[in-house]
Amino acid sequence: MSDPRLAARYRRFLIGYPRDYRREMADEIVAVFLDAAPPGRARPTAREAANLLLHGLRCRLGRPAGRMVVVWAALTAILCGLFTAAAATRLAWETARPLPTAAQATPLFADLLPGHDLTGKVEGSPAMFVVYGAPLGTEHIRDLLFGDGGEYGFGSTGVALQGLSEADTARTLATAQARLDAGGWQATSPRVTRSDADTTETTLAARRGDDVLTFDLLSQPRYRNMYFSVSLNRATPWAAYPAGVAGLLVGALAGWLAFGWASRRTEGRAPALRALTTTLYGVATALWTIPSGLGVVGMAEHHLTEQHFVWHPLWEWLGQPALSLLFVAGVALTLLAAAVAALPRRPEALTADDELAV
Amino acid sequence: MREPTFLILTALAGQTRHGYGILQEIAALSAGRVTLLPGTLYTALDRLAAQGLVARDREEVADGRLRRYYRLTSAGLTVLDAETARLRELATVAETKLRALRPHTA
Repeated sequence: MSDPRLAARYRRFLIGYPRDYRREMADEIVAVFLDAAPPGRARPTAREAANLLLHGLRCRLGRPAGRMVVVWAALTAILCGLFTAAAATRLAWETARPLPTAAQATPLFADLLPGHDLTGKVEGSPAMFVVYGAPLGTEHIRDLLFGDGGEYGFGSTGVALQGLSEADTARTLATAQARLDAGGWQATSPRVTRSDADTTETTLAARRGDDVLTFDLLSQPRYRNMYFSVSLNRATPWAAYPAGVAGLLVGALAGWLAFGWASRRTEGRAPALRALTTTLYGVATALWTIPSGLGVVGMAEHHLTEQHFVWHPLWEWLGQPALSLLFVAGVALTLLAAAVAALPRRPEALTADDELAV
Repeated sequence: MREPTFLILTALAGQTRHGYGILQEIAALSAGRVTLLPGTLYTALDRLAAQGLVARDREEVADGRLRRYYRLTSAGLTVLDAETARLRELATVAETKLRALRPHTA
């Protein structure tokens, strides 16, 4: 006779299966494990536990003979995981030290740019992330949804110098580099890019602790136009990484379970209802996948062509909030599909499904 | 058809079996090479039931443990028959080629 606690332990790992299935099958499946267990076994092996959890999650999707359902569920889990991770990292950014005010940052900029009068030139940011220079508020919803979502980004405390000669600009940059070295900053080499025949842009990034500096020099000698700016941002707070991983796992699981509910709910239903929910959800996933694909490609290109001490946040990699209208439309279609799936079944449909579940 | 599926159908050919009985028979048929865990077995049985290849037969309680028996349906028998013929043809072709390679040892 096996340890009576062993059955309870096996039963615990059936949590991955839907409740109805557990009610019907738990005794039988646990009995097979107990029959197969060698004498003296007190608890399930890791392999057995993983086997039950994974097959339980598969069972959550219903449609036992279907293969595409697993592909759709995996896609849903990935998308939900990524978007939840992005939201979690945004929350984690709240743990970052606030940006310095203009007054607090002035001594730092004065040290890096000696010989320049910075009076009234240093500008602070009202928030860590801003849209059109202001903290995000409900008044920006329209901007975010209708084309200007890309304006939401890092705020910074910075200073800009204009009217320098080319020689002054080179000297100022060299001095700043020396000051960065002396001040213990970790700095990149200047990267020069020529955007057209008349314009040269030089960027340099530096980091010390959670302070990140970006130097941006725009040179258009033909038009006697020189622009030299230094901006200070915060480095990604360490909490963003565990928050992102936790968000990914929680979101992926939630997405899988939600998809499983809808899949089981629509299993064996009228063809019209199934076609409607499939179409709605198919379009929704396209609306989520397209911005994410564009975001990943665009951000990868951006990171490769510019020097960064701070990765752009995950939501930007997912095309958010630049393409938030598509995301919101996808959510609306998914909710509509879920509402259709939640419509009550007809009694005869229940009978048909009961036979299928055997 | 994957090997575990083929073995499950074979285990049920001619005899109803409960879950543990199927696992034992699969181990015996494959000389211990294939051992399925119960989670895998029941996912496969659900799939085969949905395809109409196996069906629940009866249930009993032995030593306080619930045992449900499964049987092969006529559709399951047909599929197993077809798969067996396909495997036999493949094996025959392979044997013929191997004989040609090793004429003295065949």
